[in-house]
Amino acid sequence: MSADKALDGFGRYAGPATLILASLADGSKHGYALTKDIESFAGVRVAPGTLYEALARLQAQGLIEAVESHDRRRPYRLTEVGAATLQAQLDAQRRVADVGLRRLAQGWGLA
Amino acid sequence: MSGPQEQAKRLLRWYPRAWRARYGEEFTELLIADLTERPRSAARTADVIRGGLVARLTDAGLCGCAPQAPELARVHARAGLASLACCAAVFLGVGGAIWSQLVIGWQWSAPGTAGTAVATFAMTGTILVLALLALLAALPVAWAVATRLARGQARRLAAPSALFLAGLAVMIVGGRHFGNGWPGTGGHPWARTGLVPGGVAAFSWASTLSVSSFWAHPAALAAFPAAELTWMALSPLALACLVAGAATAVRRAEVSPALLRFEGRLAGAACVTMAAFVGAGCAWLAGRTAPPGSLFHPGAIDVAGLAVMTVALGVACQAARQFRRAPV
Repeated sequence: MSADKALDGFGRYAGPATLILASLADGSKHGYALTKDIESFAGVRVAPGTLYEALARLQAQGLIEAVESHDRRRPYRLTEVGAATLQAQLDAQRRVADVGLRRLAQGWGLA
Repeated sequence: MSGPQEQAKRLLRWYPRAWRARYGEEFTELLIADLTERPRSAARTADVIRGGLVARLTDAGLCGCAPQAPELARVHARAGLASLACCAAVFLGVGGAIWSQLVIGWQWSAPGTAGTAVATFAMTGTILVLALLALLAALPVAWAVATRLARGQARRLAAPSALFLAGLAVMIVGGRHFGNGWPGTGGHPWARTGLVPGGVAAFSWASTLSVSSFWAHPAALAAFPAAELTWMALSPLALACLVAGAATAVRRAEVSPALLRFEGRLAGAACVTMAAFVGAGCAWLAGRTAPPGSLFHPGAIDVAGLAVMTVALGVACQAARQFRRAPV
């Protein structure tokens, strides 16, 4: 499966999945740490049910993996496929952002 | 036990057992932390309930992303097949009731209109194809399960196999007993004029006796013989045992990828056949040409039956779609 198609079957969980991948890009985190980190950089609080459904799908697709831990709070880390998927997702979002910003500047004089 | 822990434990019950075994501990920790920060949140409760329902549907192979690891993908595919088998059983149970009414009616006299005759022909063809597909799907899985059981390799298959066989035995014995007691079918002098042998029609009628509008008329129901009433109550339980046993065995049987792919092709064919039956049934309902009192006259129970079959068809198609996505 190509990296840019990896989140195709995620449906409404594609957004939270991208946030989780972005959060794990700087190292492994457990569920609560993920919630707090995403809240700090994206300004949204991912609810527990949504977070774990997205985590389960990411793990099933091999985009993240659980880290061995003796703690009850199991951390997750990004896999190589997950990193490539995040890169593809962010590239696509940047292309949309670039086009939108350019058109806003041309049509509305907003920079 | 403190408040948040109790609440977290309660919320966790929305998730299926397998999910709880895998994520239960860490999810509980997250819930306790969230409940401590925000003791009251209807949005969180709704989110967890929705997550639990999605996890249950995923566990049944009806939604979610099929895992990429082949072994887990096969588990997902088998879960989808088990769900499809349940849908097909519901479909055959309700469809058998409608169809047997029509073919028993044909034992007495052919339908008065071409539309009803064509619809009955179409339903007869599709239900026979569906029964054949069910047999083709069941035999190799039954063989694989029996082989494993004989070698003592799969004790987890013993209980569902026993449940399936018990349900099957009750359905066959009860269906034959009550089918033979119906006047005008088994052994009836006119039985040769029907679309199918009278014994087949009688067996189908007796097996699906519980699908009846008499449940809505207790006074009429009270006049039924006690044995028949017992059978009407018992046969759905026997069918449920048969289906639950088969579905559990399918989920637990580690069959080969080739057999799984074969089952997947049969599942696709079954969905097409079920859609054809529903189409023929709707055509019969839309015709409404037979007079009230005739067995060819559709009633409210037939409308309800076709609605149930349409839902079963929708779920079966979703299971087949999920199966196709799994890289088995």
